[in-house]
Amino acid sequence: MTAAAWLAWAVMVMAVALTVTNPFYLAVVVLSVVLVAVLAPKDTAGSAGLRVMAFFGASVLLFAGLVAVINGSYGEHELFRVPSLRVPEWLGGLRLGGPVTAEQLVNAAIRGLAIFAIVLAFATVNATLTPQRLLRATPAALFHAALVATIGLSLLPATIEDFRRIREAQALRGAPTGFRQIPGLAVPIVLGGLERSLRLAEAMEARGFAPPPPAPAWARAAALLSAPLGLAGGLGWLYLGDLRWVGALLGALAVSLFFAWLIAASRRYGGARLRREPVSTGERAAIVLAALVAAAAIFGRAPGWLELGYSPFAELAWPPFRPLEACFALTVAWPVLFLALRPRPVGQPVAVAGAVEVGRP
Amino acid sequence: MIAVWDRVTYTYPGSNAPALEEIACAVHHGELLLLVGPSGGGKSTFLRTLNGLVPQFHGGILQGRIRVCGLDPVRTPTRTMATRVGMVFQEPEAQAIADTVEEEIAFGLELHAVPSAEILRRVATAVETLGIAHLRQRRLSTLSGGERQRVALAAVLALEPQVLALDEPTSQLDPEGAEHFVDAVLDLHRRLGLTVFIAEHRRDRIQPIASRVLLIDRGRMQAYAPRDAGRLPGAPAVPRLGLRLGLEPPPLTLEEARAAVVGRRIAVHPPAAAPAPGAELVRAEALSVTYGAVEALAGVSVSLAEGELVALLGKNGAGKTTLLRTIVGLTKPAAGAVRFRGQPAPPDVRERSAFAALLPQNPAYVLSRRTLAEEIRASLEARAMRAGDARAIAARWRLAELLDRHPYDLSVGQQQRAALAVMLAHEPPVWLLDEPTRGADHETKEWLAGILREHAARGGAALVATHDVEFAARWATRAIVLEAGRVTFDGPAREAFGAAGPYPTTVARVVPGALLPEEVVAA
Repeated sequence: MTAAAWLAWAVMVMAVALTVTNPFYLAVVVLSVVLVAVLAPKDTAGSAGLRVMAFFGASVLLFAGLVAVINGSYGEHELFRVPSLRVPEWLGGLRLGGPVTAEQLVNAAIRGLAIFAIVLAFATVNATLTPQRLLRATPAALFHAALVATIGLSLLPATIEDFRRIREAQALRGAPTGFRQIPGLAVPIVLGGLERSLRLAEAMEARGFAPPPPAPAWARAAALLSAPLGLAGGLGWLYLGDLRWVGALLGALAVSLFFAWLIAASRRYGGARLRREPVSTGERAAIVLAALVAAAAIFGRAPGWLELGYSPFAELAWPPFRPLEACFALTVAWPVLFLALRPRPVGQPVAVAGAVEVGRP
Repeated sequence: MIAVWDRVTYTYPGSNAPALEEIACAVHHGELLLLVGPSGGGKSTFLRTLNGLVPQFHGGILQGRIRVCGLDPVRTPTRTMATRVGMVFQEPEAQAIADTVEEEIAFGLELHAVPSAEILRRVATAVETLGIAHLRQRRLSTLSGGERQRVALAAVLALEPQVLALDEPTSQLDPEGAEHFVDAVLDLHRRLGLTVFIAEHRRDRIQPIASRVLLIDRGRMQAYAPRDAGRLPGAPAVPRLGLRLGLEPPPLTLEEARAAVVGRRIAVHPPAAAPAPGAELVRAEALSVTYGAVEALAGVSVSLAEGELVALLGKNGAGKTTLLRTIVGLTKPAAGAVRFRGQPAPPDVRERSAFAALLPQNPAYVLSRRTLAEEIRASLEARAMRAGDARAIAARWRLAELLDRHPYDLSVGQQQRAALAVMLAHEPPVWLLDEPTRGADHETKEWLAGILREHAARGGAALVATHDVEFAARWATRAIVLEAGRVTFDGPAREAFGAAGPYPTTVARVVPGALLPEEVVAA
């Protein structure tokens, strides 16, 4: 799968997970994400991160439950009580602790599951795509900004390595451990990082890296206008009630202005690449599907048609389960099609045998 | 003329002394120029005037006129100069941008908006030319330093420059990597007719081929013919040997030297043998260390006695650094033990380094205070010693005038001396030095050899990991060779560096029985 398809998937998971509150459908979403995460080809450097992220997602789930227990009480089905504490009136007068209701716990579990799905989806994308692959997928207009961000990311491991070596050097010097050691660590790390950045900047300039030529004036004006227009559109959608369509119109205008700039600027910069990852027709279709599903999840809900919501506070009842919505949630699993059908990488020299870094303790 | 300097004087911003003074030089198309001189003398600055990094990137004031490939690098955008002058820097890590070899080579072409098909063609040509086609899909992080420098060379070559400017490109490499790199450069020069400027401490292979040798010292330039350059400080062993024996014309290559000494009467005066070693200070017994699946040390036993100066030799990855780290306790061995004066060594790194101090490879990691004086005082405090001795210690390491300077303002050589002073301020009996001459100039090496001999004369001992055979032959009493984590040689230095040893010096290959030019006289 290409970087564009992966990003589309992650955004789709976010939109769906945040709007679906029916625990059954949410469970379908979470399981789909887990399936994709398991099948995804992991970049060797990022695979440890996936485990950490899964752990992180699970702790978010636990934490959400814990917060629900401490944080105030709504709902009628009291399960147990915890010692209660009332925050003074001048601090907001919240009540902490007290009775814990079934409604609260259910609600917390639903929120936690949603966050778990999102964290896991982004962890999967992170483990699959290197920053360099993302860089290759960026439009030419954003290439310079993305390049700088990528290089910033690539300096991070070097800084961690610096930290280790400096701590060792301090120990070799007989320096005591503790707070007094901190200046001894910070100064070489900061100076070393600055020096490394300067040397890299010099090397890049020697190879022809220079600020890109400016985009045409109209395009720059369009980009400048798109931000306030987009903001106004969003506010209009949220607060104008009956005149929502004005907000939508403004938003659409902002998006088109932004794309106009993107296309004009990309044309100006030329954007030559070693090779772009070709996006196959299947993937194009999948990206469109992802966009449609995300849009449907946000805007398309209607009673009797796409009922994705469920609130335990309204009534603590068994949530409904209908095939249409379940199938809708299942669309999140679409990367599985590509991952299962992808040709086996034959002779891919990505993980080279014996690629062990020797000479570095 | 491909490059002309007309009375060029340049001063860095914030500096009051010029870094280059009255440089006048004209270079023909296809020349190979070897730049020599002490570090901080102006070689790097001079190279950067070729592509406009000086003054466009660094700022400062440049007077005089420069023309390179028909352009004025002072005013032409560096972006344009990048397609005329390809530059390779010292550190492989500090010039790579991409993830894989192929992407790294394509990067410059992408910046210059070369069409995709052309990029592919040029990448293919570049990897083919440098013999790294088999590395094309590899990740840079899995390559050795020498391979990475060849990738950096391929990356600038893909821009099809007419001039190559190489700023000590092999100073961070092991001898094998350095040799491959230098061969690649010489090959490019020969086959493509590129004009090459190369600043390099390892001159023995380049000097015979160079059209001129440019000495740059304190910002001033002096040009020499390669045959006359044997008189310069830090000249390779072959021309120095030629000078001592009065060979005319002075030989440049090993083959010329061998041919020239045939039938001559040569006396060898080896230096007085070192006194017999005293009591044992360090003993490492059957040390084994593994990193994941890699066996870094496989049952290594070494000893170090009073008065011994031991050169620790071996390729990159042979386990030299690991051995030093294990002795000082930074790396815990899977098996084996370390003994200091016959007693088990204490477990803590701080206590161990009080007896056997380790100087790590990069001096910058050691230095962290505002002034050098504070730096030395901090070291003494850490060892609970009197702080009043800082001045005496500075004097001993030739740092007396630099006490009030910020450690990061010092030159590379001065930083190295400062790092030695800071790590060895408490006068430990055992010194463990990890490649102390990486990128060091001839003068620094000379000085360090003297310091080591003094230390041994006072009953100390040192174990020095180094790639620099000519340097080690000046002071070593014993040599240990590591290969893939095992000791394959442990014996007298004269045997190790001799004609039949594992690491013969240049002179030993010409005059058996001698190691250094100074030991040879015409009889």
